Amino acid sequence: MKVLAMYNIKGGVGKTTTAVNLAYLAAREGQRTLLWDLDPQAAATFLFRVRPRVKGGSRALLTRGRSLAAALKATDFEGLDLLPADFSYRNMDLELDDTKKRTRQLGQLISTLSGDYDIVFLDCPPSISLVSENVMHASDLLVVPLIPATLSLRTLEQLTSFVAEAGGHQPQVKAFFSMADRRKKLHRDVIATLSRDHPHVAQTIVPALSMIEQMAEQRAPVPAFAPRSRAAISYEQLWAELRPS
Amino acid sequence: MRRMSPPPYLVVGRAQLLGLPGPNDDPITAEAVGAAIGDEFAVEFDPPSVVHGAALDTFDRRLAAAGLALYHLSDPAGQRLVLISEKGGEPLTTPIADARWPALVSALPAGGIRDALAPVATIRALMVLDGQTHRLRQGALRNEDRKILVRFELVEHATDAAASTWLSVKPLRGYGNEARNAARLLAAAGLCPVKPAPVVPPRDDTGARQIRIGRSAPATKLLVTEWSAYLATIRANVAGVLDDVDTEFLHDLRVAVRRTRSTLKLGRPALPEGVSEHWEPAFKWLGDLTTPVRDLDVYELGLPEMAGWLVAADADDLQPFADQLRRHRSAARRSLVRGLRSARFRSTLSSWEDTLAELSGSAPASAPKLTVGTLANRSIGRAYRRVVRDGAAIGPGSPPEALHSLRKRCKELRYALELFAPVSDDTARKRVVSDLKDLQNVLGRFQDSDVQQQTLYGFAEQMRAANAPTRALLAMGELVAHLGTDQQRARADFERAFARFSRPAGRDRIHLVRTGR
Repeated sequence: MKVLAMYNIKGGVGKTTTAVNLAYLAAREGQRTLLWDLDPQAAATFLFRVRPRVKGGSRALLTRGRSLAAALKATDFEGLDLLPADFSYRNMDLELDDTKKRTRQLGQLISTLSGDYDIVFLDCPPSISLVSENVMHASDLLVVPLIPATLSLRTLEQLTSFVAEAGGHQPQVKAFFSMADRRKKLHRDVIATLSRDHPHVAQTIVPALSMIEQMAEQRAPVPAFAPRSRAAISYEQLWAELRPS
Repeated sequence: MRRMSPPPYLVVGRAQLLGLPGPNDDPITAEAVGAAIGDEFAVEFDPPSVVHGAALDTFDRRLAAAGLALYHLSDPAGQRLVLISEKGGEPLTTPIADARWPALVSALPAGGIRDALAPVATIRALMVLDGQTHRLRQGALRNEDRKILVRFELVEHATDAAASTWLSVKPLRGYGNEARNAARLLAAAGLCPVKPAPVVPPRDDTGARQIRIGRSAPATKLLVTEWSAYLATIRANVAGVLDDVDTEFLHDLRVAVRRTRSTLKLGRPALPEGVSEHWEPAFKWLGDLTTPVRDLDVYELGLPEMAGWLVAADADDLQPFADQLRRHRSAARRSLVRGLRSARFRSTLSSWEDTLAELSGSAPASAPKLTVGTLANRSIGRAYRRVVRDGAAIGPGSPPEALHSLRKRCKELRYALELFAPVSDDTARKRVVSDLKDLQNVLGRFQDSDVQQQTLYGFAEQMRAANAPTRALLAMGELVAHLGTDQQRARADFERAFARFSRPAGRDRIHLVRTGR
């Protein structure tokens, strides 16, 4: 079982849309796939039309009062299940702090599902926190959407340092440009510089497209409702680049 | 019109299958389902689509033996493979495009299905064994957010069947209550649970045959029974060899030919004059016809392992060797195909069948009246003595040919033990076979290493003459070195394996096997 976390310290960079679309593509090619919506804003949960509620909240999961398996919900897409968000996840940091091996809890929980899934996607909240540290330890790959801006390089470097300093198991880091607008010179310049100089940046660029914004209207992954769209093709290219071997 | 059974891929995992109580009831319709549960839930059905389900397995039903069922489903929306385990759980599915059967597992898309099938099918190709076409409607029960909570599959009647309809109610994970409610409402509307078809259908017995025969029965009866089974195996595998489906067709055909030859030799004392004299050469011809392709198959199948032996060279360096093997195999296959399509091959099999019919009829007055027990005693005793005699004569200075010859004697003993298994002491026979297998394994490693080294030299000569890259020749040199070491190891193991086989306890067991007591 491989664990891929969509992560960025910043919010609004396309983590949820990436998680939803890549999870859909993984399931479409026959992989038993789970997406855990760790963000209390519950955007991924909303996109899959699932109620953002986990009985007992994050405390029940972390204290093993409720198994992860019991909280799972099937999505409308074959082979793709969701572990919904819950508003209580906003306190997950505090609850993790109360546990033993507090930076390993999420990884241990996820490993209880290793026989059921081939791949797990984590849609992470935007922060550097105990949840983030857990995500580092649980993941094989951190997928980092970056908006092409001057601060992108700084964000990526902060993140790679954070991973390096986390100790123990270190996931691979792969960033990609998200919401890119080729009409903007700044975007073009940042993409050119970072793609050339940084080994952690993927070749695929996901443009800013209205089709991606329409996911909230359609409440479905782009390749499901617009399979021939440029947006769907971009995510397919990204998945081809990131897919674990 | 025949009444069809529900397709086995319809009900898997936690789905429930519903049907009609009586054969004359009106078929289940999407409208009827909607009317039964529509007051509480929103139900939608897609337009009907024709789904063709091809059941796949290997020729020798390895998937079924492992409790697996594989289907290739095609409908207007696309094609997919579905793998179901009789142990339960959700099926594995994967989209597939442009599938051409038969195909090796390695040709399937990467993923869970390929991973699950690889250790089961190994080198055998997947073939279509059966196919069914159904008209199917996908349905869904949705909540107020239009989230699907329960899936339905409504199988409408097929053109060649009576109006059999089934409805599968499939709960989605996390929505079990909704599925139970829907099933309750449907039951109230008159639908009743139907036992789904078994995931893995009962298969023809392709396992070990149990022949019931006594020691006092005529020996020809046992021989004819065995030969008839070998003949059936030869015939069953010819098509797969001609189509080059996978390498096991030729392997199985050759084993049946070799067993026929060997038992012809063992059966000589029990057969009318002229039978062995005529048929042993006929089957030798057939064996020889198949040898070149099989030898090359063994190389091709062993290439990945051989590549792992390389230390200095790279696996890619062996590519010219692989190409050379393929060219030789293509040429050898042309000869094999010509032989299997020849009048000589056809007449050999049909005449052999006639001979078997004659032998199973009333025996001619000139035929020896040998019983199974007497022949078992003689054949096993003779074969055992020859193995012990030839094995004891092998010393440190014996040439490789002496070990090759001993390997043949061991095979003869093995076939004799298998042939007379129905009248042997089972426990003693298994112990003898176990020791014999160990010895055969050592001799096999020795001979295979020897032959492969010689063949590699031969290929290298040809490739050098054709200006093959130096790296390829050097890589082949590494293979020769590895095989040489293997051969030495096998030679060093020989004394131990032979001593174990020829120990006094083994002799006592052979006595039990020969006499059946």
